[in-house]
Amino acid sequence: MLDVDGLRKTYSGRGREVEAVRDLTFRLGEGELACLVGPSGCGKTTLLKCVSGLMRPTAGSVALDGRPVTGPPPDMAVVFQEYGRSLFPWLTVRGNVELPLKEKRLPKPRRRELVDGALEAVGLGHAGSQHPWELSGGMQQRVAIARAIAYEPRVLLMDEPFAAVDAQTRADLEDLIRGLWQRFSMTVLFVTHDIDEAVYLGQRVIVLSASPTVVQDDVSVDLPDERDQLTTRSAPRFAELRAHVYREIQNAKNGGGGPSGTGATGTGGAEGSGADGGGGAGDAEGADGEGGADGPDRAPTATGGRR
Amino acid sequence: MSANETANTTATVSATARRGAAAAARMLGLPALLIALWWWAAVSSGSFFLTDPGTIAATFTEVWVSERFLTDVLPSVGLLLTGYALAAVLGIGVGVPLGMSTRLRAAAEPVLEFLRAVPPPVLVPLLMLLVGLDASMRTAVIVSGCVWPVLLNTVEGVRAVDPVLADTCRVYGIRGRRRLGVLVLRSASPQIMAGLRQALSIAIILMVISEMFASSSGLGYAVVQFQRSFAIPEMWSGIVLLGLLGVVLSAVFARAERHALAWHRGLRAASRGD
Ligand SMILES: Nc1ncnc2c1ncn2[C@@H]1O[C@H](COP(=O)(O)OP(=O)(O)OP(=O)(O)O)[C@@H](O)[C@H]1O
Ligand SMILES: [Mg+2]
Repeated sequence: MLDVDGLRKTYSGRGREVEAVRDLTFRLGEGELACLVGPSGCGKTTLLKCVSGLMRPTAGSVALDGRPVTGPPPDMAVVFQEYGRSLFPWLTVRGNVELPLKEKRLPKPRRRELVDGALEAVGLGHAGSQHPWELSGGMQQRVAIARAIAYEPRVLLMDEPFAAVDAQTRADLEDLIRGLWQRFSMTVLFVTHDIDEAVYLGQRVIVLSASPTVVQDDVSVDLPDERDQLTTRSAPRFAELRAHVYREIQNAKNGGGGPSGTGATGTGGAEGSGADGGGGAGDAEGADGEGGADGPDRAPTATGGRR
Repeated sequence: MSANETANTTATVSATARRGAAAAARMLGLPALLIALWWWAAVSSGSFFLTDPGTIAATFTEVWVSERFLTDVLPSVGLLLTGYALAAVLGIGVGVPLGMSTRLRAAAEPVLEFLRAVPPPVLVPLLMLLVGLDASMRTAVIVSGCVWPVLLNTVEGVRAVDPVLADTCRVYGIRGRRRLGVLVLRSASPQIMAGLRQALSIAIILMVISEMFASSSGLGYAVVQFQRSFAIPEMWSGIVLLGLLGVVLSAVFARAERHALAWHRGLRAASRGD
């Protein structure tokens, strides 16, 4: 379905070359839900822009259904990291969600149905007539998500879409995405820096290394398909996977390879993250110092988390 | 609790009323003062050329509420609006492609800079030769002066389209006419409006100048005629009429702008945090 092969991207500007990603190769099957985690600045957004055809890779290729991606493919939706700037301030919330559907030439009743459904699903059924700038950051982010799901895409790319929402809403949106994914059998590539979220959401977690960026690990998440915020997050297997991904990220930050020696055994993380919806605990970026110690389960990792 | 609230509401209402009165006083206070000063200066100097406001007011109705309104005022306003509208269409129409294409911009930049630097009234004698003495020449003068602020502001506005919004349009396949309407023109509209506002005052100036130089009717012509025949109160009334015309046009413009840029004010207020 989606093939990323030897992808490399170097930004060149003002005589300076920045290698954002060095060599990425992975493949998503039709209808797969994969999460992408990696330290801040490792090139996740860059990868997403190449996959969506918004940017040309320096080397390597991206192909969708065997056809090389040279521009944004039809029926692909993207939720940008800069969610606030991706909304049209002169359109209402409804207008924003409806705009791509107009371009799709859907008849009006159908558009209304999709817009209402999407806004309802993200809990913004009441906010349709407001403008984006009248909403909080988290609400704006949900408008961007509503626009993507109303579009009924076959491929959905999301770049840290839940970064600005509170823990409770975040848990709801995670379940919403999983629900939609199951219902419409979309292929989803979901970028996050929250390890718990990656494990909870994905069938697979692709871990990127720090720059020079390569695929550090590709973890398949063998949790049951029916997931639940409470039981899934407190399952021993969840904790194991979470610890595994965490260790990989630590490895990646320390230059890859070798045991990290952080000793996160997996059993410790289970209780702490179950009840609070996982907001914050196990944060890939948190591991480099800001807010790293926000749970008792983080104690064993402290050695790797301080610089 | 509720008594307290009522008291609060009353307090708010009276505060609003007081603020309104204060604003009105501020708005009318200075004009009133200036008129009084003028009156005093006119009476005390006794100069032939300085007419007192009372006489001007009387002359004003006498001169302009007559067939002159049809022969001088309406054609002038028509000229002004035609030239302004043409300049707006031309400025936006050329500004959008220039703003969107780096290559076009690079090619056109030096020429634009030069043409912009030429003061428009200088064009009057030239255009008199080229286009002749008729209304189309006067329109051309107005267009040639007004088009620059519109054009240059449009270019800037279109260049500054947010790249994330542009990417959003690409992802959702929004292109062509819809992209122009929903993305390009709307995001450039604050700058375009600023350009149109500058163009409006230039249009009034050029209308008067072109009529003074080269016309046998119109407001500018009338003012010059009065001056030459030493009809000083009449001349003053023409000047006042031009001033009023400017005020009315700019009020109409402000209204249109408020409507078109409501989102922009909201956005700015939201990002300032009030
Ligand atoms: N337009 C650009 N020009 C030059 N360098 C860039 C540009 N965009 C990104 N980079 C660089 O490329 C690298 C990867 O950036 P990218 O935005 O893809 O990271 P990210 O993984 O999405 O980070 P985050 O998690 O913070 O969003 C960074 O080092 C960044 O400085
Ligand atoms: Mg990013």
